[in-house]
Amino acid sequence: MGIAPEIEHQHEPLQSAPGVHRRRFWSLRPQSDRESGDAVSSNFLLHWFPAKSYKPSLDWSYSFWLGTASAALLLLLVVSGLPLLFLYIPSVERAYASVKDIEYVVTFGSWIRSVHRLSAHLMVAVVFLHMLRVFLTGAYKNGSGRGQKRQWNWVIGVGLFLATLFLSFTGYLLPWDQLAYWAITVGTNIASSIPIVGAKVRELLLGGRTIEQPTLIRFYVLHVIVLPAAAGAMFMVHMWRVRKDGGLAKADRAAALPAKRETAPAPTKTYTLLGVARGTQPWVRATSIETPELTVNSVPDLLRRAAIVVLGTIALVSVLSVFIGSPLEEPANPLVTPNPAKAPWYFLWLQEIVTDTTIRIGSLTINGAFIGGVVLPGLLIGMLTIWPWLDRSPVDAAGIWFARSRRTQNLLFLLVVLGVLLLTFVGLFMRGPYWHLYWPWQRWPQLPTRI
Amino acid sequence: MTERDRRDFLINLGMGAGAVALTAQAAASLRSLIPNVSYDAPTTVKLGDPGEFPEGLKFLPDQRLFVFREGRTFHAISAVCTHLGCTVRAEALSNPETNNVGGAPLRLTHQFLCPCHGSKYAGDGGNVAGPAPKPLAWYFLTAAPDDGQLVVDLAQPVDHNFRLTLA
Repeated sequence: MGIAPEIEHQHEPLQSAPGVHRRRFWSLRPQSDRESGDAVSSNFLLHWFPAKSYKPSLDWSYSFWLGTASAALLLLLVVSGLPLLFLYIPSVERAYASVKDIEYVVTFGSWIRSVHRLSAHLMVAVVFLHMLRVFLTGAYKNGSGRGQKRQWNWVIGVGLFLATLFLSFTGYLLPWDQLAYWAITVGTNIASSIPIVGAKVRELLLGGRTIEQPTLIRFYVLHVIVLPAAAGAMFMVHMWRVRKDGGLAKADRAAALPAKRETAPAPTKTYTLLGVARGTQPWVRATSIETPELTVNSVPDLLRRAAIVVLGTIALVSVLSVFIGSPLEEPANPLVTPNPAKAPWYFLWLQEIVTDTTIRIGSLTINGAFIGGVVLPGLLIGMLTIWPWLDRSPVDAAGIWFARSRRTQNLLFLLVVLGVLLLTFVGLFMRGPYWHLYWPWQRWPQLPTRI
Repeated sequence: MTERDRRDFLINLGMGAGAVALTAQAAASLRSLIPNVSYDAPTTVKLGDPGEFPEGLKFLPDQRLFVFREGRTFHAISAVCTHLGCTVRAEALSNPETNNVGGAPLRLTHQFLCPCHGSKYAGDGGNVAGPAPKPLAWYFLTAAPDDGQLVVDLAQPVDHNFRLTLA
C-alpha cells in the first residue's frame, strides 16, 4: 500500500499524537507548539480555549477582560453560596435569625456572606460594563467568519444580564429584613400594575395574596436553583458561541483587513476554524489570523491573562470582604415602612422612574408603577435585544472602539446610560425621608423612625 | 400507502405524542404553583371600644388603617399607598381646617406621606402630589351588634361621604 512507507518514516511512538501523552501532566510552560496545543486538548478546564489566539484580541485595553471577570464573579458566587446554603433557613420565622447567626456566630460566616454579597454587587456592575464594552465596540456584529451568529450571543448576553439582576433581587429578599419585605411589596405591586393579568401574576409570585411563607420559599427556590441553572446554561452557550463565532470581534476584523492570500496547504500546517477547507479544491483561504506574528499559543498567553483576571478578581473580593461587612436591617416588619425605603443602588434608577412616570390625561390616570416599572424597562430591554438587527453599520465597524460609522448609536446608548447613572445618583444621594429631594450636603430633618 | 409514508407517519406520531406529553407535564407542574387557597387575614376586624379612640386620629398598624374620631362620628382611611403599597405616614397639620368632603363637613387634621416614592395625600385621602394614581381608600365602619366595638370591613371601600355616627 502507498501509505506504508509513511508510517515507517514516523520515528516517534504513537503516544506522541496530540492529546496522547507520555507525560503525565500538560505543561504551563510549553517548549513547542505541539506541547502548547496538547495542554488545550488534554485538560478539561482548558478545552474551550482555541489552540492559538489572535494576539490583539488579548489586549487589556480592548475588552478589559470584563467577561472573564464576570465569569470569575459567578464562580465566586457559586462557591460562596454553597456554605450559605447549609447555614440559611428559608422560613419566615427563622430566616432572619439564621442570617444573624451567619453574621455573628458562624466562624468566618460574616466573611463568606460578604464575599457572596460583594461578588453579587460587583457582578451587576461588571456585567453591565461588559455589555457597555460589547456595544461600544460593535462586537455583536458579524465579521468575516463563516456561520457567525454574534447577534444571538448578544441576545443571550442580555438574558445573562437580566438573570444577574433577578439573582441579586431574589438574593437580598432572603434575609427577610425590612429591605426584603418592602422590596417584595414594591416589586410584586409593580407586577400587579399590569392591566388584566397583574393581580394573577402577583398571586403567582407571592404564592397567595399576602407576603408569607410561600413567598419566601418561592424566591428562595428561584435564587438557589432556577436562576443559577438558567444563568449557568446561558453562560455555557455564551462561551460556546464565542468560540463558534471565531473569538472576539477584533479577531476577524483583523482577518478581514489584509488582502486574502491563496496559499497551498503545507503538509505541516495546523488550521484554525477560519481556515477549514470547503469545496472541491485543495485550496485554503489563509487569513492573517494564522500569520505567526499576530498569533500566540493560547497556553500560556491566553491562559496567563485569564488566570490574572480570575485570580485577581478572587483576591480583590476576598480582601475587600474582610473590610466591608454586609448590612442587615431590622427584621421584616409589615407594620412599618422604613423612611425613606431605598432599593439597592442598581435598582434606584427604576425606583426613580416609577416615582416620576404617573401620567394624568384628563380624568385618566396611568400608574407610574406600570409605565416606569413595566413599560419603560420592557422597552429598554426590548430595544437592547433587537439592537443588532437595527444596526445597519458596515462590517468593518465590528471589533473597534467608537467606530465612526456607529457614532450616532454609540452616542444614543451612552446618553441612555448617562440618564440611568443620573437617576441612580439622584436616588442614592438626593432622596431623603418621604422621598423628598435634598442636596447631598443638606441634612435630613429628624423624623421619628417609628410611629 | 408506501412503506416510507407509514414510517414518516409513525415518527411524526411519536414525536407529536412526546411533545404533547412534555407540554402537559410542564403545564401541570406550573399549574401546581398557582395557589388554590389563600390564607388571608379576615377582612372584618373588631378594632376596640369606640370610647377608647382618641379625638382626632389613631393609626392601627395591623390593619394599616387610620381611624378618625370627631365627637361621636367616625370614619376610616386606608394607610396603603395606592402607588405601590407602602404604608403611608400621617403628619399633623399645623393649621387644621374644616372642608366639605363628600357633601359633609370634615375636620382635616393630617396629611399623609409615603416613604417609598413620595406620594402625598390630603386629609381626606385625596392624592395631591407624587406618583399616587388615586386617593387612599375609605373603608366601611360599623358598631358590632354584640359588644358595640368598632368594626371595619377592609373588603368594602366606601365613598367619601361615609360617616359612622354612634348614638
